[in-house]
Amino acid sequence: MNFFTVTMKLLEGFGLSCIIFFLTLIIAMPLGLVISFGSMSRFAPLRWLTKTFVWVIRGTPLMLQLMVVYFGPGLIFGWTAFPKMNAVLIAFIINYAAYFSEIYRSGIEGVPRGQYEAGQVLGMTGTQVFFKVILLQVIKRIVPPMANEIITLVKDTSLARVIAVMEIIMVAHTFTAKGLIWPLFYAGAFYLLFCGVLTLLFGYIERKLSYFRV
Amino acid sequence: MTILEVRSLVKCFGSSTVLNGIDFSLEKGESLAIIGSSGSGKTTLLRCLNFLEKPDGGTISVGGEVIYDSDNPATQSEKEIRSKRLHFGLVFQSFNLFPQYTALKNIMLAGELLATEKPDYKENKKAILADIEQNARNLMEQVGLSDKLDYYPHQLSGGQQQRVAIARALALNPDILCFDEPTSALDPELTGEVLKVIRSLADKKTTMVIVTHEMQFAREVSDKVLFMDNGVVVEYGTPEQIFANPREDRTKQFLERYSGS
Repeated sequence: MNFFTVTMKLLEGFGLSCIIFFLTLIIAMPLGLVISFGSMSRFAPLRWLTKTFVWVIRGTPLMLQLMVVYFGPGLIFGWTAFPKMNAVLIAFIINYAAYFSEIYRSGIEGVPRGQYEAGQVLGMTGTQVFFKVILLQVIKRIVPPMANEIITLVKDTSLARVIAVMEIIMVAHTFTAKGLIWPLFYAGAFYLLFCGVLTLLFGYIERKLSYFRV
Repeated sequence: MTILEVRSLVKCFGSSTVLNGIDFSLEKGESLAIIGSSGSGKTTLLRCLNFLEKPDGGTISVGGEVIYDSDNPATQSEKEIRSKRLHFGLVFQSFNLFPQYTALKNIMLAGELLATEKPDYKENKKAILADIEQNARNLMEQVGLSDKLDYYPHQLSGGQQQRVAIARALALNPDILCFDEPTSALDPELTGEVLKVIRSLADKKTTMVIVTHEMQFAREVSDKVLFMDNGVVVEYGTPEQIFANPREDRTKQFLERYSGS
């Protein structure tokens, strides 16, 4: 088992981890915004429904949700299970959308009322107020908590192994049967590198937005 | 010429009546100081004028035209209100400048957005935007901040921020400029520069409604004074009448508390 073979195997697993990461991110970010609007709705039933949903998703382990999405359709309804990757993506997207929605909500509610009112008295429409006044302030507020959550997502992708998706940790684990421990550390290095790049990226965004204060 | 006329204005929050039948009118070029203790309804009155609160009763007329009538839903649609509120400008107690824009851009933003609705915007875009910018520069000069055009709000002192906010409110040429305790959020040494700007506007016969706790300033600058208590107008008159010869006991008590401190 030479270094090159291990690297290739780990890269394969890391590829899957990346797919889970990026697809979750791309879909959960807008979906989270929809959920956040639900949890801020003036229509109470919708608000309570959304809040209950977020409570359930945040209040149970992602690992459990993964299992329910994968085994649930078959065991409860007798349907064929989703393909493994689809089940992983469904669970991850729902889970992360719920977390993102709370970050968005705090960001939106954190903008002082006076900012909306100042826009209104200057004759702006609701849409103009949101896009020209509020949005950038929200983005600035949510970058640090989003960075945190997104870095957690990188590492959470390893949970996909509970339904036997061959992500990088699962690949590295197979080498222990052959008496090798170093592929596990090597896998850790992949995560470190990826999170390092993300940290730099978020640092850059924060600096870009540091020209004003909210 | 009467520019502003408010009749029987009522505003309730839940079961408490904050404004209980407010009547007053204001002549063009006059400045009106609204005084009264906290909770008397002064700020709510100002917010009703700017449609930040929806009055439950009464009418508001500007220049003879009824722009809000609680009995006429047609005057209350979002679209109507958006155009009607441009009769008024509002300077907030807490400035509420947009933090992500420079001082100059704060003043220009609303004008730029409104300009896009003009029919000739596409053809004359450059000229229109240049006009808006020139106007904003003039306003910054008027409030004494020509050297701070490119500063962001957090780089300005409270007094400077409030002066930018005044310029921003003036940029759309409102008929009536409203101030909601414009110096209450400022350190004492910064109130002077803001009051000076308001005074210069009064000298130029800008029609203004000023909610204030600065009694001396109200006395010197305003043409009319309105004393409110518990959601009603207790006394309305010239500064001499109100400050030197108040008729109502409640006015006397209020003014005594202020002169005592």
